[in-house]
Amino acid sequence: MPTLRSFFARLAALFARQRRDRELTDELESHLQLHIDDNLRRGMSPEEARRQAVIGLGGLEQTKEIYRDRRGLPMIETLLQDLRFGARTLARNPGFTAVAVLTLALGIGATTAIFSVVYGVLLRPLPYRDSNRIMAVFELTSKGTPSRLADPNFDDFRDQSRSFQAIAKYGDNVASVSGARQPTRTTVANVSPEFLKVFGIQPILGRDFTAGDAKKGAGPTVLVSYGYWKQELGSPRDLSQSHLKIDGAIYSVIGVLPAGFRFPSDADLWLPADLGGENPSRTSHNYSAVGRLRDGVTVQQANGDISAIARRIHDISSEQGDYLLKDGIVVPLQDSITGQARSPLLVLLGAVGFLLLVACANVANLLLAQASVRERELAIRSALGAARGRLVRQFLTEAFLLALVGGGLGVLGAFWGVAGLVALAPENLPRLDSVSISIPVLVFAFLLSTAVAAGLGVFTAVRATSGDLRKALVEGGRGQAGAQNSQRVGQIIVAAQIAITLVLVVGAGLLGRSLMKVLEVNPGFRVDKIVAMDVSLPWVEDPKAKADQAIFFSKLIDRLKQIPGVRKVGAVSALPMDGGLPDGTFLLMSQNELPKTVDGFGLLRRQKERIGIADFCVATDEYFQVLGIPLIRGRIFDERDGPNSPHVAVISESLARDRWPNQDPIGHTIEFGNMDSDLRLLTIVGIVGDVHEDSLDLPPQPTVYVDLFQRPRSAITLTMLSDADTRSVTSAARGILQDLNPEIPAKFGTFSQIYSASLGSRRFNVILVGFFGIVALLLATAGVFGVMAYSVSRRTREIGVRVALGASSSDVLRMILSQGLRTIFIGVAVGIIGSLALTRTVESLLFGVTATDPLTFAGVTLLLVGTALLACYVPARRAMRVDPMVALRHE
Amino acid sequence: MTDKRDVWQGTLALMVLKTLQSMGALHGYGIARRIEQTSGDLLSVNYGTLYPALLKLEQEGYISSEWGVSDNNRKAKYYKLTRAGRKQLETEAREWEQTTEILARFLSPERES
Repeated sequence: MPTLRSFFARLAALFARQRRDRELTDELESHLQLHIDDNLRRGMSPEEARRQAVIGLGGLEQTKEIYRDRRGLPMIETLLQDLRFGARTLARNPGFTAVAVLTLALGIGATTAIFSVVYGVLLRPLPYRDSNRIMAVFELTSKGTPSRLADPNFDDFRDQSRSFQAIAKYGDNVASVSGARQPTRTTVANVSPEFLKVFGIQPILGRDFTAGDAKKGAGPTVLVSYGYWKQELGSPRDLSQSHLKIDGAIYSVIGVLPAGFRFPSDADLWLPADLGGENPSRTSHNYSAVGRLRDGVTVQQANGDISAIARRIHDISSEQGDYLLKDGIVVPLQDSITGQARSPLLVLLGAVGFLLLVACANVANLLLAQASVRERELAIRSALGAARGRLVRQFLTEAFLLALVGGGLGVLGAFWGVAGLVALAPENLPRLDSVSISIPVLVFAFLLSTAVAAGLGVFTAVRATSGDLRKALVEGGRGQAGAQNSQRVGQIIVAAQIAITLVLVVGAGLLGRSLMKVLEVNPGFRVDKIVAMDVSLPWVEDPKAKADQAIFFSKLIDRLKQIPGVRKVGAVSALPMDGGLPDGTFLLMSQNELPKTVDGFGLLRRQKERIGIADFCVATDEYFQVLGIPLIRGRIFDERDGPNSPHVAVISESLARDRWPNQDPIGHTIEFGNMDSDLRLLTIVGIVGDVHEDSLDLPPQPTVYVDLFQRPRSAITLTMLSDADTRSVTSAARGILQDLNPEIPAKFGTFSQIYSASLGSRRFNVILVGFFGIVALLLATAGVFGVMAYSVSRRTREIGVRVALGASSSDVLRMILSQGLRTIFIGVAVGIIGSLALTRTVESLLFGVTATDPLTFAGVTLLLVGTALLACYVPARRAMRVDPMVALRHE
Repeated sequence: MTDKRDVWQGTLALMVLKTLQSMGALHGYGIARRIEQTSGDLLSVNYGTLYPALLKLEQEGYISSEWGVSDNNRKAKYYKLTRAGRKQLETEAREWEQTTEILARFLSPERES
């Protein structure tokens, strides 16, 4: 207690030191006077009285010193003293200080901003109770890739596994919802009853699903998100009157989920899955699955458990083929959400780390130059008795001052940076909403600044205080020996900078070349001037209702064609780059061998030579014209193809080539009813050009196109090719839909937006790595320039002597440049070796170039050598113009 | 003057506390004089040791100080015992007595036999 109390007293004494000092002087003075008074009373003469008193009391200043040490905390006082001194030193060189602080701010700020994305996306735990116990469960395909689950397979996982306390399947889709404020397109999740238990949450109002709610034919019920309940329903406490019309059916709202719960992402409504009964196929993969591990069960155990069940299914299932699962796998949900983003983000973190290193190297060089200017000061201090430790501490303090101020500025900058990153980030980057400058990010920034400070401080301190400081005094402050040494260190630093920059710029170059290669890919369709309009009608199964929907779309298309400026209107189940098409196996058949029963199809499916795999796309004839997908042979759909005439199909070029090699597929018939439950055969009537359906960097998918008016579906995207302004087309189209049916919401966009978003993550990486590369290049150039300029200014006298002895200015130029070139070449050589080793890590992000692309390496090397030589040339010019008389007198 | 001993640190605090207890509020010079007198002029207290000791006691909360005016009209800082100081004095005095008693037994063993 007294110790603590005295600590605080001493801490307080760090303030108002002058007042305290004055008080002590007064007190000691009064002590002395009292003593003199006593002595006088004893009969001494005034002089004698004073003399005796002073003798008896001991040294006044010494007493004050002891007293001060006891009063405050000497360690902190020394620190404050160092800080004050450091701050004064830094303030005396505002140029140096500003450059160093800003360079560090840039490095630390950029690293902090990128780390905040890495933390928010990859590291921050999911916002659920014990979220590390929540697992994603997948089937593994015959190729070993994870896939979604077929209903009977999920049921087996659920019933036979022992590893989960709760396991649920879920899917999501966008549905038309009315009954709230206004009809909207809302993300709706279909989930099995244990879904909320997996996440460890309960409705904050109302109740959770029961097993009864999920039974086939149960009364439709729905859970709503907190935001939906507040904004769309008007936060009623009593839910008994709340009903929503979702895709045409009426659902009772039974519960409200806690604020912030939006899983799967953007979901606002949760319905029981399979109210119409499960799909009995083991090869239709319709649902994702999540489970919460039982206490004490490890991920590996759960994995073994699921895998065993999956392999058993594989072995005994009557269905066979590529679409049947081969195995099963369990991975933590967080990893499964962020898996795709992991490697690009780590590459970015690595890149920004390199930038930070280059920035630190620049500051280290600045500090080194500073330190050699200060040799004289150091020599004096050390001559006056400062121990080496004290000087080292001085340097450390200054480095901390620089790094913490730089780090502080950097963090301020990172706030802007993060906002920019979030705006720039591709839409498919998961968990973007959890990216912010949070406490862990701030801690990271602080630790980073501290590490930078320690590194820089130790480096300069060791450099500056090694060797015999007194020599500097003897040499009159123009120490040549020490300077030689520190120049060598400076050159090593610059070489390292060049090496790191080269790695970074090579990385940026490879990514940039990949982006260019991707853009060179012919997508197979036109992108400009296309307005996309997503419309979804209630989902129906009855063929009559389906036909009505086709008529509705036909009417809608006719009306849209009348919008001024609109040239063509097509419709398609999904645009390329917009979520993808379903794929499946079709059967080659002839008209007369149609089996009577579903089992008959099962038999046919086992005959390998009958099977083909393709994407299934529903479209209208004008869709091909709108997107400019060329007809290669045959014809596209036309008036002949009514709902009751023979159904036709158009196939893509790659499918024709692969499935019918050396044959003409036109006229062949196929059965693809597993995609839309329509078993009527499709006759191939035409072949169209290939389309990069999923992404430009993946090969085109073989595709079967069917006619929307023969194979109607409820959700389509209308595509309008128009010369008119997008906004006017959009508002006209919205008016027409409103007019035809006010209850159907639509979503508008342009195809170029969708297309451009699909390149988002590649562009994001190129922009960031490219930016880091450019900044590193600038810093490295500044580093080369600084070291060379410093070297020239140090060698002024030497150059003067050389010129006086007859060296020509080109000799001088050659001397300086060759010195620079040596450094540059060492840096470049190390950089190339480093790049060869490190670009392997970005291999997965590359397209069309190898990680050792010679063109990129050569280009970057040239760029770097060129820039660095330019940076050498300016100081070299100055060296050439050295006037020997001035240089020699200068000493 | 040379035969006087400097007071040794550990005991000075106890002496100061005891002095303040018996004399009431007192300035630094007075405390020094009083300790010297009590020791029969065997000890000398210079301010290099006295004032840091007073500061330490004040920081620990055992004494408090206040500026006042001395008998002969000099401005001086007066120290007085706090309640915590009184308790501390009791504890320390007891410990000191124990220590001296034990030491005394060692130094005059014949009394034991």
